[in-house]
Amino acid sequence: MSGIGLRQEAANDIILRTTGLTKHFGKLEAVKDLNLELRRGEVFGFLGPNGAGKSTTVGMILGLVAPTAGSIELFGQKLEGNPWALLRRVGAVIEEPAFYPYLSGRDNLEALARAIGGIPGNKINEVLERVNLLDRAGDRYSHYSMGMKQRLGIASTLLREPELILLDEPTSGLDPAGTKEVRDLIPRLAHERRAVFLCSHLLHEVEQVCNRVAIIKEGVMIACAPIQELLTQGQMLQIKVDDPAQAAAILSGLPWIKSVKRENDYLIVDAPKESVSRVNQALAEHNIFASELTSRNVSLESVFLQLTGGESGD
Amino acid sequence: MTRVLLFVLIGITVIIYLLLFAVSKVTLPAQSPPGIEQGIGEIQNLLGLPVALPFAFSRLLPGIGTLLAIILVASSMGNEYNWRTIRTMLICSEGRLRLLGAKLISAGIFILIGMVVGLATAFVMSLLTTAIGGYAFDFSFATGGYWWDQFLQFWRTFYVIMPYALLGFLFAIVGRSAMPGIALGAGVLFLESIITAIMYTAGGWIAQIPDYLLTANVSAIANVNKFLQDVGLGELGTTVGFGQLPGVPHAFITLAIYSLVFLIVAFYLFRKRDVTG
Repeated sequence: MSGIGLRQEAANDIILRTTGLTKHFGKLEAVKDLNLELRRGEVFGFLGPNGAGKSTTVGMILGLVAPTAGSIELFGQKLEGNPWALLRRVGAVIEEPAFYPYLSGRDNLEALARAIGGIPGNKINEVLERVNLLDRAGDRYSHYSMGMKQRLGIASTLLREPELILLDEPTSGLDPAGTKEVRDLIPRLAHERRAVFLCSHLLHEVEQVCNRVAIIKEGVMIACAPIQELLTQGQMLQIKVDDPAQAAAILSGLPWIKSVKRENDYLIVDAPKESVSRVNQALAEHNIFASELTSRNVSLESVFLQLTGGESGD
Repeated sequence: MTRVLLFVLIGITVIIYLLLFAVSKVTLPAQSPPGIEQGIGEIQNLLGLPVALPFAFSRLLPGIGTLLAIILVASSMGNEYNWRTIRTMLICSEGRLRLLGAKLISAGIFILIGMVVGLATAFVMSLLTTAIGGYAFDFSFATGGYWWDQFLQFWRTFYVIMPYALLGFLFAIVGRSAMPGIALGAGVLFLESIITAIMYTAGGWIAQIPDYLLTANVSAIANVNKFLQDVGLGELGTTVGFGQLPGVPHAFITLAIYSLVFLIVAFYLFRKRDVTG
């Protein structure tokens, strides 16, 4: 395949691209110059503290909120010109699912299927079965538990076999079994040549299901990388020495070390992963010898807290 | 919601007929003033079969019917915001204007169904009160001209309900909830008639202002019902008791302008505004 052909294929694989996406609500800059790319087959985590601009971003992608500046491309085409043809290929559950309370789960899906148009008759049973809601499909939506509502929300996104699924807190209110079910379902959805855009405050869940994440704070994207890369960036060195106070003083004086903290008998050093030998050498020059020197694995949660300055996720 | 509103319309119609029937059966004391006797005679006329439909067109539907239409139309859009289904529907619909258009058309159909149900209830209650009161069943009034007149009045009544319903629709969109639409629609429906009456009383140029408001123009069209004039109950159609009502063409144009303005602003706002929260 030629170089041009390869580039074309890569471009075709980009399902969502935002360029300089900005939204102002009066004087408030909810989203500032957001640049994102989401590829087919990816599960993309979108994280940020409360009020960071996640829901506004999702609203703009879905055409519910008009951007102040910037552009959104879906499936390689500008959203602005032909939103409804492109949004037909997108499914979404925004925050908590919302359906008509006086209708059953099945009737709600039928109403949506009619609004969408062209949905085959057997599709409703199929999606209800996929989210394990078939046996309660005849119950009123208002009688559903939060978990059932979430599952109905996911079922509604599957009605039109979307190529891009936006899920905002899909496991909110689910019991552990339901959470696991949805968590297992998300990567499966992406493997079906779709992309999943997942907003969640359950960071361990994002860590388990997402390939890449973006972290947004006060409307500005402060990190966007594959999960493993972020976790590697967040790795610390864990050192055990006989005299931690002196060792901390020595290491704090080194320009390539970002921070040194004491945790019981250990020093936790924020330094590049490849600097293990240099740290060891610096200590040895002062006759301090580490009895333990290891890389300390970090969770996405600690990376998130570090990047957002300790604010909780939304 | 639609079923509840239909039951309310039926219930109120039944109650009004039963009250009128009870009043019509009051035994007057021998020394009672002649005006009261005449009034009871008019109520007996109202209960009669020929007046059942014109009465419903002139009194029930422009009053309680309009109020229920405001509730229905404002709720049709406002509840989408209240239940937050607006986002779900917008994500699934082919465009905001199509969704709004579909809502409006379905609400219009329900209003028409409600009008038919209201008329049928009035007619059935008239049959019942005629039977219970021991009056003669005389259908000689049901000529072609009578039905044609009622057919035209049906559409005139629908026409006068629309500006209020569209006002409710507009404010449900402005307020992103059913309640502002219902409150403002109902508020205008009731308060404007009082304000109009005060303006007529004030006289001079102030008395000309109601010509450009809703109530006077609605009354001008409700008053067109030829049958009521023929049977000497023309004043039934007049909801504003004093003052010169505007002409019918003027009323049609004024109400059309109101309806169009409410409709255009509602569509414009719905298309332009962000759907958040």
